[in-house]
Amino acid sequence: MFKKLLVANRGEIAIRIIRSAQELGIKTVAIYEETDKAAMHIMRADEAVCIGSGPRKDYLSIERIIQAAKTTGAEAIHPGYGFLAENPNFSKQCTEAGLAFIGPPPQVIIDMGSKVIARKIMQDAGIPVIPGTPVLDLGEAGEKQAVRFAEEHGFPIMVKAVAGGGGRGIRLSKDKDELLKNLKVARSEAKMAFGNDEIYLEKSLINPRHVEVQILADDHGTVIHLGTRNCSIQRRHQKMIEIAPADLPRPLLDRICETAVRAGEACYYLNAGTVEFLLDEEDRFYFLEVNTRIQVEHSVTEVVTGVDIVREQIRIASGEPLSLAQEDVTFRGVAIELRINAEDPKSNFMASPGVVQIYMSPGGHGIRLDGAVYQGYEIPRYYDSMLVKLTVYGFTWSEAVDRLHRSLSGFAIAGVKTTIPYYKQIVKDPDFISQNFDTSYIETHPHLLDYQEEVPEMEKLASLVAEINAHGYNPYAES
Amino acid sequence: MSEPERVTPQMSSREILDFLRRTPGYFMTNNERDVSQSDFKGRIMPSTTLKVASYRDAAGYFAFEISGGVSVHVDLLRKQINPFEKLRLVRKAMPNTLLQTVCRGRNLFGYRPYPDSTIRETVRLFSRYIDVWRIYDFLNHIPNLLVVADEVKKAGKILMPSICFNTGPEHTNDFYVGKVQEIIDAMGEDIILSIKNHSAVGSPHRIANLVGAIRSRFPNLLLAYHGHNTDGTDLGRMVSAVLEGVKIVEVADHGLGGIYSQAPALSFIQILHDYGFQPPGFNVQPIVDASDILRRERRVYERFETPYRGFDPTVKRHKLAGGAANIAFEQAEKLGLMERVHEVMSDLILVNRELGNIWSVTPGSQIFWTTAVNNVMHGRYSKPSDDLKRLLLGQYGPFPFYEPPEWIYRQVLESNRTDGKRWRQILRDEGGIRKIPDEDFDLKRHQLVEKLKRPVTDEELCLYLQFPRDAMDYLTFEERFGKTWLLPPEVWLRQKGFDEGERITIPDYDGKTHTIDVVSTRRVGDSVQTSLLVDYHFQSYTTPVPKRTAGRS
Repeated sequence: MFKKLLVANRGEIAIRIIRSAQELGIKTVAIYEETDKAAMHIMRADEAVCIGSGPRKDYLSIERIIQAAKTTGAEAIHPGYGFLAENPNFSKQCTEAGLAFIGPPPQVIIDMGSKVIARKIMQDAGIPVIPGTPVLDLGEAGEKQAVRFAEEHGFPIMVKAVAGGGGRGIRLSKDKDELLKNLKVARSEAKMAFGNDEIYLEKSLINPRHVEVQILADDHGTVIHLGTRNCSIQRRHQKMIEIAPADLPRPLLDRICETAVRAGEACYYLNAGTVEFLLDEEDRFYFLEVNTRIQVEHSVTEVVTGVDIVREQIRIASGEPLSLAQEDVTFRGVAIELRINAEDPKSNFMASPGVVQIYMSPGGHGIRLDGAVYQGYEIPRYYDSMLVKLTVYGFTWSEAVDRLHRSLSGFAIAGVKTTIPYYKQIVKDPDFISQNFDTSYIETHPHLLDYQEEVPEMEKLASLVAEINAHGYNPYAES
Repeated sequence: MSEPERVTPQMSSREILDFLRRTPGYFMTNNERDVSQSDFKGRIMPSTTLKVASYRDAAGYFAFEISGGVSVHVDLLRKQINPFEKLRLVRKAMPNTLLQTVCRGRNLFGYRPYPDSTIRETVRLFSRYIDVWRIYDFLNHIPNLLVVADEVKKAGKILMPSICFNTGPEHTNDFYVGKVQEIIDAMGEDIILSIKNHSAVGSPHRIANLVGAIRSRFPNLLLAYHGHNTDGTDLGRMVSAVLEGVKIVEVADHGLGGIYSQAPALSFIQILHDYGFQPPGFNVQPIVDASDILRRERRVYERFETPYRGFDPTVKRHKLAGGAANIAFEQAEKLGLMERVHEVMSDLILVNRELGNIWSVTPGSQIFWTTAVNNVMHGRYSKPSDDLKRLLLGQYGPFPFYEPPEWIYRQVLESNRTDGKRWRQILRDEGGIRKIPDEDFDLKRHQLVEKLKRPVTDEELCLYLQFPRDAMDYLTFEERFGKTWLLPPEVWLRQKGFDEGERITIPDYDGKTHTIDVVSTRRVGDSVQTSLLVDYHFQSYTTPVPKRTAGRS
């Protein structure tokens, strides 16, 4: 087992990784950019290294991160999610530098990072994929290919960037004109976002459900699954609420999970990954992609299985076999996870940077918080806006929803706008309560944004006390 | 079924009236709202009221008057409190006691008549919390009470129409008995008739005589007496009233009342005890306990108490309602008129007589006082107020005894006229009670929503209909600074900054305690930075305060 591990990330996931490493007796090294020097993960690690002035560019610098690992004597690097987590060069250069990369080898990242190659591998393994095209040719030839595909499969059609992910580089086309326009736009976006302008087409399912399977694969040929997650509640392809397990009939769940394991085997997967599927209205499921990293929503799987996924990741990277077999994995209850972000839902979820003046969090049975925020913390505007990830457990769906309601009411956050009031609306929504949702949920429930901002009463009164103090009398009582 | 010991809000108005009719003894209503006519009563914060609520509730009063009169406006204006929310709080804290309001007929809680639709909506909404509606018209013009009365009956609440009482050759028993007959003709006998002795006039003998006259004509009518202790003899009038058959008398806590309030409950009980009269279901100890608390609490309001503390037997001449005299004195002081206040008081006596020897109660008392002040400052009736013009035009109602002399009509009505019309023509063209067009509620609601940028409740609209600017200011304030009723009065009425280390303890609606600790105060340029620990969380506030206006001299 490693003695020291560098976490090549920030925020809640860095802290999450540090926790598991420390439980394994591994010393941890945090990295940070100058613009992120007040981040909580720095305080939680055993050591910290400033890797540059930032913002963002140094967290993406493979060279600086590997140098930090070398300088501090770290033997392994955990990339977390985002930043370099799915960059095959990072995995490759870590290995070349003699550092264990806690994630899949570069070739798996390359294969699964290419939507087209991934589809080919899965098709060859007999795994159902959504009808799609190979990489489209440039120019008029590509347009002809696209139109032919549309004629064969009908609209709507997704134009997707080969290198895309996380909801980026996707354009929906409802007719031929829109398709031809989107080919150009998507190609140019893909070039800008991923440095790769390759695009392809996929038949779009109408209001599909998004189901994914957590897999673990060790270097001893074992691939297991840890069950499903339903990530249907998304906003512009970004997941907002994740649930484990997906609410599907048991036989269907089993088939999806077995298929996910086969997918892992087909791509020679190693470490923790997620195989994503879309389900249509008739419960047919199609391979969507493999995420070659730990995911934000891994906590719901941990809560219903009791398995520490990060701990397994570290064990796998150190060459140890999985600590459990498939038959050891059991599922109990329901977990729901929400991302509480410093955003203003009423302003199109615009980031709301600022100083967190009050931070109180809920607690008690069935509540897990993975946060990176503290009172007085100034949320930098350069990074993602997640304050804390709330995961609740319930023996049943309804118990989990009740607990979610209580947990959201237990937060007191002042100074920045958050997504909490919006989630409070969702938790009260009859469709959510009855599990009647798919990927169209957010856009078909715009009334959920119709809520009043809640400023804690004491905060308002405190501002009045400050006003009285400043004036030396109460200007509102004198007349 | 066992006989109830006291009336409760859970009983229907019919059950309450029946209980009063068959139960021997007398009942008392605690009138905190009217505890003084000075600035003092308009300043008492709900925090104080709530502090003694459980004691008052345990005492067994017939009702607790906490709403109405000027209080609705003052709640918005000086306390930044929603008058409906105040009632919700009091109702929660006093679940066993009826809540009472006083309403100025067509003038509702204001000074001028409102449209019928606004009156009906206001009564309907306040009746969610108010059990007893004490209503009056300052001209004893009964038609002015009818819309309110109708709506109170529709709401199933207790109707307490009043006859305003005064003294003088015109104020005979026959006149008042005739007014009672008018009330009964319009509203029936399922009412409580109140004798409203707002000016604290008349002797105990006169009150006994009046009560006797009413009782002999209407033996089954339930009677109440509302008086003030301005001249120091109201206990005598109250006792006489009860001995003659009045059932409900308004009282004050001895720890809160004073010369201009109602007389103290405990003194009243002690006197009547020797006459063999008992208040059924009443407990004395809670009123003693309440007053012990109120005595301490009262010190916070010290600066709002009238500086004119002595009894005022001259009220029999100037007749200013309750303690309107002390507001008048306070205003005179502000106007620099103290040297000439005796002139104003003398003129007031004349004004009373000249303007029909009617009743000096809102809005009449304000009209009389303003007229007397203007007479002294600018010459008699040479600078009439608009309200005086309305009075002469009969827009509030007719003069019941006699009309003012013609020279006053001419002086007042022709003042500042640009059309050259003579007073008789003006009186013909503009005189009499005018039907006020109903408000367009949808339009008003839309205006309010536009201003507040949020949906508004019916109660908020109701306040806006009555006091558009002040309701708007209040709603904006409340959104920014929260609920002032949570604040202890010593914070709300603060006259200096806070010391470092000072702690403010605030119990919330659910009884949970919160704290605000003052950490530091720092001036930065034209701002003051205040750092606080709010429920143990650090918060910093920057308030722009130009140096020249910081603090009060």
